[in-house]
Amino acid sequence: MIKLFISKLSDNLDTPLLSTIMILVVIGLTVLASASQENFYLLGNQFFNIIFGILVLYIFANLQPRYILFYAPYLYIICLILLLLVSIIGIESHGAKRWIDLGLINFQPSELMKISLPLFIGSIYHHHQNNISIKAHTFSLIAILIPFLIILKQPDLGTAIMIGASGFTIIFLAGLHWKVISSSIFLFLLSAPLVWNMLYDYQQNRILNLLDPTKDPYGTGYHSIQSIIAIGSGGLFGKGWGNSSQSNLNFLPETTTDFIFSVFAEEFGFIGILLIFLLYSFIFYRCFTLASKMQNTFSKLVAASLSVSLFVATFVNIGMISGIMPIVGIPLPFISYGGTSMVVSMASIGIIIGLYSNKSLIAN
Amino acid sequence: MIIFFILLIKIFYLQVIEHKHYKALSNKNSIKVIPLPPNRGIIFDRNNKILADNRLSFTLELNRKHKINFDTLAHRFKDIIEITDRDIENYKERVSKYYFFDSSPIKFNLTNIQIAKFISQKYKYPEFIIKQGFVRNYPLGKSSAHLIGYINRININDIKNLKKNDLFVNYRGSTHIGKSGIEKYYEKKIHGISGYKKIEVDANQNLIRTIQTVPAISGENIYLTIDSRLQRIAEKEFDNRKGALVAIDPNNGEILTYVSQPTFDPSLFTNGISQKNWRILNDKIKRPLLDRVILGTYPPGSTLKPFVGLAALHNNVRVPPFSIIDPGLYTMPNGSKTFKDWKKGGHGNVNLIKAIAVSCDTFFYGLGIELGIPKLNKALSVFGFGQKTQIDIGNEKSGLLANENWKKKKHGENWYQGETAITAIGQGYTLVTPIQLAYATAKIANEKVDNIPHLRLKPNNNLLESSDDNPTISRGIIGSFNKKNINLIKLGMNSVTEPGGTASFLGKNSSYKIAAKTGTAQVFGLKKNETYDEKILPEHLKDHALFIAYAPAGAPKLAIAIIIENGGHGGSAAGPIAKKIFDAYLEKNYD
Repeated sequence: MIKLFISKLSDNLDTPLLSTIMILVVIGLTVLASASQENFYLLGNQFFNIIFGILVLYIFANLQPRYILFYAPYLYIICLILLLLVSIIGIESHGAKRWIDLGLINFQPSELMKISLPLFIGSIYHHHQNNISIKAHTFSLIAILIPFLIILKQPDLGTAIMIGASGFTIIFLAGLHWKVISSSIFLFLLSAPLVWNMLYDYQQNRILNLLDPTKDPYGTGYHSIQSIIAIGSGGLFGKGWGNSSQSNLNFLPETTTDFIFSVFAEEFGFIGILLIFLLYSFIFYRCFTLASKMQNTFSKLVAASLSVSLFVATFVNIGMISGIMPIVGIPLPFISYGGTSMVVSMASIGIIIGLYSNKSLIAN
Repeated sequence: MIIFFILLIKIFYLQVIEHKHYKALSNKNSIKVIPLPPNRGIIFDRNNKILADNRLSFTLELNRKHKINFDTLAHRFKDIIEITDRDIENYKERVSKYYFFDSSPIKFNLTNIQIAKFISQKYKYPEFIIKQGFVRNYPLGKSSAHLIGYINRININDIKNLKKNDLFVNYRGSTHIGKSGIEKYYEKKIHGISGYKKIEVDANQNLIRTIQTVPAISGENIYLTIDSRLQRIAEKEFDNRKGALVAIDPNNGEILTYVSQPTFDPSLFTNGISQKNWRILNDKIKRPLLDRVILGTYPPGSTLKPFVGLAALHNNVRVPPFSIIDPGLYTMPNGSKTFKDWKKGGHGNVNLIKAIAVSCDTFFYGLGIELGIPKLNKALSVFGFGQKTQIDIGNEKSGLLANENWKKKKHGENWYQGETAITAIGQGYTLVTPIQLAYATAKIANEKVDNIPHLRLKPNNNLLESSDDNPTISRGIIGSFNKKNINLIKLGMNSVTEPGGTASFLGKNSSYKIAAKTGTAQVFGLKKNETYDEKILPEHLKDHALFIAYAPAGAPKLAIAIIIENGGHGGSAAGPIAKKIFDAYLEKNYD
């Protein structure tokens, strides 16, 4: 009976993908223990986040795609409302309004938008799948731009970029003509100065800082330099668990969230990094494989977009801590401390699995 | 996936290829090395009286990383520590001239109340710290300043020198360095060996733990041969007069008195001397910074006569009972020129002994001509004239024993016979330093030993003591002179303090016998037809008074040389000072 239940449970679940994610999550907890200097309250929270995330994953994995398709627009609109609410009643932290207080937990509507936007745009193209017109593209573009601008103003450049990236992935995959793409890139370049002026000083500084982090070592370059020092001092084999002097002595900022990977790199060295890269590579490989096997446009677009979203988050996070990208506050999926990020990442995987295993959009 | 690979490459580059660099940066982040400067050694006199030690002191220091607004500084410290414009001025001057490790002092010698007030409101002054340290303290003040010397803040040149000699590492954290006197000569010993503390700090520079402590090793204490009681007596006797006094124990070369006047306050330098004080110390006429003992060069005048006399005896010139009838002037053998005796009408019948006793010039003019410069100089150099004595204070002048070659080189002129005559009475080109004169006197007082005059007490029976402090040199011991000849000269010096001698007043009321020689040295040459009139001559052109002596004459315990600049006649000006010193030393009467 139990055996049957378990097999029923795992029936719809992609075992290799999930076990890889589990390994990553456990590694994440281990690093968090060190990065938080064994803060058990924080560890307990994160453990709860993981359990909750797995639950969400399980639910989405078993959800019929047609429900997802049906509810996508509502979810998107709720998200938009929450985003607007955040800008009014949100909790301010580190000079940015990103969180909303739900009593028991605080959560970031912008993170939720990472899921609802792909779903909504996917649904737009689903309804226009026989005749993908400029109208659909324009509509999608607007659907992307509204949350993008709101989040940019929060300000949260990182999440804004991620949302933009996942949205554009869909437009791109939906078959936008290359002429349109190239002209929009051209337009983007033209509008770059305008966007630059829209950015906050610190956002501009972060980008400038990327070009030369040593210019202002105690100002904007500080985070970048300390992170690079942490990574570089780790060497091939690392300093060992709990021995990150950069983290323990508070030279590194945000060690539990954005810069957790720097701590990992310092403690476990390049060998550890290789392992993590292998795990992530497998996850993305699997996600993209699943996406490519989807049989309808909606599933294909949504799965691809969510995969891209996870990939970009991973890339930007590691890119920023290693000094390739500017410092934008993006957590590392499955490893960084934080409930919303963990749940959204898990949900994304759940949706991808669900879309794959319940192939049809039509009710059984 | 390809862009993922880029990340991997970047991380590989950071972790594997550039690992060493970042490892160093990581350590530099958290590991700080704090130098622990050693305490300077203490300088004692021969009776364990402290001449220089270290006093605990608190200074208000400005962290070098911070920039502050000096205009509001006084106001900010109102009611806590008074900071004057002068303090700020001095601070700026100090910072521009000297080297500071991490913070630089702005206010010295804080009181307990000032410290307490500062600490209670410390948060208001994040750029400032109070540093506890030892400052050099000179309990004798101006007394013995040239001897002890002074220390000053380490400046750019010091750093250059230290680096050149591979000593800079030992000066991490040290703020001061010996600049003159014993403080400089024995700097290596006095400074000590610096230590360090390796600590781990967090991003806010809070101490996490001490990794390693290598304690500093305090500098060696230096015990001098000096008797500060004699110093004080000599300085008091000098009063406002300029000059120098050196007293040596002729039995072992220990210097008991080393006085150069006027003197200065060595503590003026401790924290960087102000321009005003520097100007005062460099007064062109008084020259208080000049250590006259080793750097003052003077014509020896008649104090040279005993040595000239010995040179003559050694070369069988004018050996008693040879005598002359002194008419009060000497005529050159070729009749070209005459030289006057200091006494009009002359001294009558004069042999060598009397010539010394009455300081007969006429006798020595002729003696000089008969002896000749080469033989004279050879004998004088046995006494150390014209060479450095190698006293352990460094940087001394070697004086001058002139000859034909020297004059040709220096002035491009030939040597006149007349110059030989005046050289024999200690005028002419001959120059001596007070230390040379004292050394020569000690040598004639005790012909058996040849000790280099020295200021540092030799540790008793300490075989480990390296010999590099006091290099042994050989000038040929004075014993190479015939004992009989030496005794003749001593007889002459004895008679100086006997009735009829130039310092006969010293023989009266003296419980011991003093052998001496007076001298008066012309500062400037009188032109023909000019007469020396002490009353109308400007002070700084008046004759120098010189005096050498040893006592007790039979078994000498102390040899003294005194020079009083523009002091007039040697016997009357300097003799009483010598007597005071002898009294104190020989009769233990130090009051």
